[in-house]
Amino acid sequence: MRDNFTPAPDLSLERAEAIRQSRADLRPKGEWFPKSSEAEGGCGVTGFACTIPVGGRHIYEPSIQMRNRGNGKGGGIAACGLVAKDLGVSSKVLKEDYILQIALLDPKARGQIEKACIDPYFEIDQGGLVPTVDDYRDVPLLEVQPPDIARYFVRVKPKILDRFASDKKLTGLDQRDVEDEFVYQNSVRLNQEFYSSLGEKRAFVLSHSPNLLIAKVVGYAEGVVQYYRMEDMRAHVWIAHQRYPTKGRVWHPGGCHPFVGLNEALVHNGDFANYHSVTEYLAQRNIFPQFLTDTEVSVLLFDLWDRVYGYPLEYIIEAMAPTTELDFDRLSVEKRRVYRQIQATHMHGSPDGPWFFIIARNAIKTGQFQLIGITDTAMLRPQVFAVQQGEVSIGLICSEKQAIDATLASLASEDKRFTPIADKYWNARGGSHTDGGAFVITISPNNGVNTDTNGNGHCVMTVTDKFDRPVKLPADQSHCDLSVAIRQPSAMDLDEKLIDQAIAESDPRRIYMHIRDSLESWDYNQLRWFVHQVANRTKERAPSWGIEALTLALDRRYRIGVKKSSSLSTIIRSGLEEIFQAQPLIDEKPLSVYRRITWDTREELRGPEDGEMTLLIDARGFRPEGWDCDAFLAKKAYELGWRHIVHYNTRGQRFHAVGFGPATDGLRIDCYDNPGDYLASGMDGLECYVHGNAQDQLGQITKRGKLVIYGDVGQTFLYGAKGGEFYVLGNAAGRPLINAVGKPRVVINGTALDFLAESFMAGDPLNGGGFVIVNGVSIDENANVVPLDLPYPGSNLLSLASGGAIYVRDPYQTLVDEQLNAGMYQQLTDADWKLMVLYLEENERLFDIQIERDLLTVDEVLRDPRDVYRKVVPRRDVEAEAEMEGLGG
Amino acid sequence: MSATSITKPATSVQPPEEFLSQPEYAQVTRKVRPAPPRYRNEIGKYSVYRANNCRRCGKCAELCPYGVHTRPEGYGLLNRPFDYRCIGFDCEKSDHYCIDACPQGALSIAANPCFETLGDYRWTADLIVSTWQMAETGRPPHSFLESELGDSEGGFDKLRFRFPVKPPADLRREDISTEVILNRRKDNRPELKMDVPWYGGGMSFGSTSIYAILSRARTAKAWNTCTCTGEGGYVDRLIPYADYVITQVATGLFGVREETIQRAPIVEFKYAQGAKPGLGGHLLGDKNTPSVAAMREAVVGTSLFSPFPFHSLYSVEDHKKHLDWIAHVNPRALLSAKVSTPVDVDMVAVGSYYAGAHIVHLDGSYGGTGAAPNVAKKNIAMPIEYAINRVHQFLVDEGIRDEITVIASGGIRTAADMVKAIALGADGIVVGTGELVGLGCVRCGNCESGRGCARGITTTDPGLEQKITLEWGTQRLVNLYSAWREMFVEILYRLGVESVSALRGRTDLLMHIDYENDGSKETA
Repeated sequence: MRDNFTPAPDLSLERAEAIRQSRADLRPKGEWFPKSSEAEGGCGVTGFACTIPVGGRHIYEPSIQMRNRGNGKGGGIAACGLVAKDLGVSSKVLKEDYILQIALLDPKARGQIEKACIDPYFEIDQGGLVPTVDDYRDVPLLEVQPPDIARYFVRVKPKILDRFASDKKLTGLDQRDVEDEFVYQNSVRLNQEFYSSLGEKRAFVLSHSPNLLIAKVVGYAEGVVQYYRMEDMRAHVWIAHQRYPTKGRVWHPGGCHPFVGLNEALVHNGDFANYHSVTEYLAQRNIFPQFLTDTEVSVLLFDLWDRVYGYPLEYIIEAMAPTTELDFDRLSVEKRRVYRQIQATHMHGSPDGPWFFIIARNAIKTGQFQLIGITDTAMLRPQVFAVQQGEVSIGLICSEKQAIDATLASLASEDKRFTPIADKYWNARGGSHTDGGAFVITISPNNGVNTDTNGNGHCVMTVTDKFDRPVKLPADQSHCDLSVAIRQPSAMDLDEKLIDQAIAESDPRRIYMHIRDSLESWDYNQLRWFVHQVANRTKERAPSWGIEALTLALDRRYRIGVKKSSSLSTIIRSGLEEIFQAQPLIDEKPLSVYRRITWDTREELRGPEDGEMTLLIDARGFRPEGWDCDAFLAKKAYELGWRHIVHYNTRGQRFHAVGFGPATDGLRIDCYDNPGDYLASGMDGLECYVHGNAQDQLGQITKRGKLVIYGDVGQTFLYGAKGGEFYVLGNAAGRPLINAVGKPRVVINGTALDFLAESFMAGDPLNGGGFVIVNGVSIDENANVVPLDLPYPGSNLLSLASGGAIYVRDPYQTLVDEQLNAGMYQQLTDADWKLMVLYLEENERLFDIQIERDLLTVDEVLRDPRDVYRKVVPRRDVEAEAEMEGLGG
Repeated sequence: MSATSITKPATSVQPPEEFLSQPEYAQVTRKVRPAPPRYRNEIGKYSVYRANNCRRCGKCAELCPYGVHTRPEGYGLLNRPFDYRCIGFDCEKSDHYCIDACPQGALSIAANPCFETLGDYRWTADLIVSTWQMAETGRPPHSFLESELGDSEGGFDKLRFRFPVKPPADLRREDISTEVILNRRKDNRPELKMDVPWYGGGMSFGSTSIYAILSRARTAKAWNTCTCTGEGGYVDRLIPYADYVITQVATGLFGVREETIQRAPIVEFKYAQGAKPGLGGHLLGDKNTPSVAAMREAVVGTSLFSPFPFHSLYSVEDHKKHLDWIAHVNPRALLSAKVSTPVDVDMVAVGSYYAGAHIVHLDGSYGGTGAAPNVAKKNIAMPIEYAINRVHQFLVDEGIRDEITVIASGGIRTAADMVKAIALGADGIVVGTGELVGLGCVRCGNCESGRGCARGITTTDPGLEQKITLEWGTQRLVNLYSAWREMFVEILYRLGVESVSALRGRTDLLMHIDYENDGSKETA
């Protein structure tokens, strides 16, 4: 297998030991016991890194999108790769100085802190209080007055540094490393004196890094930006966090994320099971947590492995999220040797349990800024990665996809070089040999010039996985500048005529096929013009044909040449929007098959009248859950008699196609944009189509009906499902079909990350039971269906199952026994294939993934299905059958 | 009291549908009727022997007020003594002590050696037999049985009441309220009021027989309280009692469908069980009969393990989303989060509140049938009496105590235990094992082995489950509830407390005997 192994760098044990020794006197007085961490639930985390510095207001939108992942009791942001002008310092100062930010819970502490911890040791290039709005109550949702922040741009005085190096026996270290260590230790002491040793907390260090700063409040993350007036402060990398502490009363933001290491800030979503063990591990290395949250220890771990052990990023990630099971076996010999050592040394410090980290890092030695996302080995927290490349490039990491789209929409509204949809969205596979469960978005200076005084940089972005392998992005594609007005192209009369003909013949597929076949020859203007024509010509006369044609163009994959798929989607989606918006509102007069309802007109909901078929729900403004969410309105609409409901402009609102009760045959639900979690859970008869990617926990306990997803689906898809038909164009993330019973029938054209169909109990598929077909393919940029490297990369397949089967397209026999736990491989039979074909034909109809051309043809030869697919069944079943046969004689 | 009664011990096969069609039982009432044991020789504390020299004079039958000695009408021979009803040597000083009164000296009494083998330290033989007695008679048991305390040397057995010298003069027993309101959030969902401060805990179809399940549901209806499906799905036969049946959503999601969520007044999320925190539910293969497998849509004969925890929940914000889901499916249901009692149970409770739960159900470690592994039952969760008070105090400090209902369960055996749990800070109680004992459970602990319970309670075996009929089971539990309530009210009366809500958090009415040696204030 492919492996670009890098030999271990020269890791000096003496250096690690010297730094450890130098911290001996940081041990708090008296006997030290690890304290309990503060209880805290999950949270919303988001971050992005961009080749140009952008204002803090763009972290608003994603934060607002994830408010329901926090409870307003803590929010924070970090910004890295700042702009000197915005901070009123010179570029040199910004580049070289440490930015010491101190939260003054007691404003009177400032003088004492300066006297005790700053003035004696530092040269101050600039210092003062961070400006705030006058009255915190002007910022919505701020419950508690945020602390004043004192900010100092400092360098350690040379004499002090020399003495420190000799006293602490750190003379072997590079000068900058010694200075880093001094700053770190000084902050530990400051926190000890003004924070952790006190009942009444007075002040603490928010951050102390060069070119990186942190701020946090009791409230939502967007409140930080507003209160500290960072809307226009620019940075290359932003991360934010919505906290969900379960303790009710919080009066200061000491426990909020992000936390600082030295050159990095970290936000975290999750909860360790082994906080105690990790703090003991840290204490053995003279590191004593002061804020009692697992986020703090996470960043302390990162800093330890980074600065003390001097590990490269890959090893740090391995120490955080060890590679295990089959994934470990699939590593190269050299990697296994190194990783085994890392695991042996650091397993006690490795966070165990659900976690997902987003890290903003100033890689000061290379002049790069990084955004890093790392998921735990079992992938227990939601995570989405995305990139957009072009004149400016951006990489994003979030808990939920809608937060990514909200960021892009916010940026696109201000700068035409961004588009509202990313070029690529994907998930990481935790602790894996494939991507290592981590991706690094690196913003590097081009030609050694970082940012000019206006903040316009000359930077490039690279995206790599844990193993430093680049994420493949289509090259040579360009974005569409949507700010330019559409011009009438010449010689497109025929195209216009085609639209009219298709309408006359009620054949919307012709319109779609025309887009598909002409796209490569069209420029963006021609495409936009044509889509606009489709919308314009159908929106009054035949909206359903227009919607169907453009929806097909949105759902299907076809050759797009040098155009960006994100631009294509944006253009087609805007054509759809034009048709949607032209439909009469629920309380308006004109007759139409469609009725549209919005947040403002929701009270006007009524049943369908003569000829009305479809209710369009514009989800903007609706809450993500509860009585005021669009999915709840849909329930009421169904009760009133609507049988086709379309949700569009969704931004993570939840529970679409949920709650309609038993026997909902004849109901169809379409979701555009970003429908949220739990979609189609419990469905019993209805059909639901998701025109794009879907999120987590879809289809829990579904009983009957049909769900089609024109994209990927998130974690725990079909948990406890009992039946229904499911078609997924892309991948299902971790743990799909866990504990499913009955007769669910599922086609996943991509793959699942791990734990597919654990504890599956779905009877005998040939006798009315359930199964999953995993095709293990993807559609490449030329619209060809190509096999993935591995049809199923996970270590657990059909574990501990007692019923059901999985059919995996595995012509190269890559699946091995090690992936099974109480399962076994079987030869496909004619009966199996007869059953599968029924579903693969529907799959072909939905996604144009053709059985013969795309699935049965291997290396250009049409094969027998038995040579292409393998069947996985629970071992117990087979044994029992054999016994039965024996009995029957 | 006569040994014959309208509710004869179960002998015949009687499907519930047929039974329900009889007008007399279509409506279930709180009326107490004798419901004698199903077995001729019930285990009692004493054994009474009648020797061969008895000359059938019938004096003993005339004398005994407890129904130990009986003579069927028209017969000369006396019945073999119903010695489980005998109060033993306490009778000696009375004027009806049969042993002394027998002119032939044919009667003798001894401690029943079988009684010694019954029960365990928590559920002592006295508690088991007194519960049987309550279920039979609908009245508090006779004082020869210890009916308040076990021998566990911990938990509720270490707590005593601090009775005032005299209850307030104006307090009357009939005015004492045992109602409990379940929704305190004022969120447009129903308030739901129970007439007694307890409801039945979740026991799945699969773990428990259909007759036991229906008996519990009918009793819940009679007493205007609830019972819970457990995680094995919603049996159709429960639908007539839907307003009194809690649907459980547990980690296996077995049998959970939208309609089962939509018909429930309360949906209970089983995050963990106090008897086995960190373990999901499990049903061994032998009990997964075709009917159980059909309900759960699983494969017959395979062991069914529910995962721990929910695969979709790894944080409090996932938890909120999960509750939001069910709230969306059923806009009138209350949401209950059933959690075990880890050391940070206070955080768990406050997290449940913020996630939108109406009820936080703390399940402590003393409960659990024989199906829960001993190593888990005895070693993991925090004792419930600590957990209740810790949660109560924390919620008070957070200022949200009056917006959430705290329900406690796990080893609450008696009316006295219930009063103690509420005085520690709970709003109400969930009972589980107590009801099974009322149905005749001997606490043998073999719930999970083979075809299940030899007494027909925790079994799905078609033969074994016939040991209980619906009429008998319902009457036993109706009686038990009646007796519990009477005893509960009596304790409140003696404490001078007029209602359940006034009792909540009154730890001043309790003492722990290890820390207070003022024996004079102890109860009997």
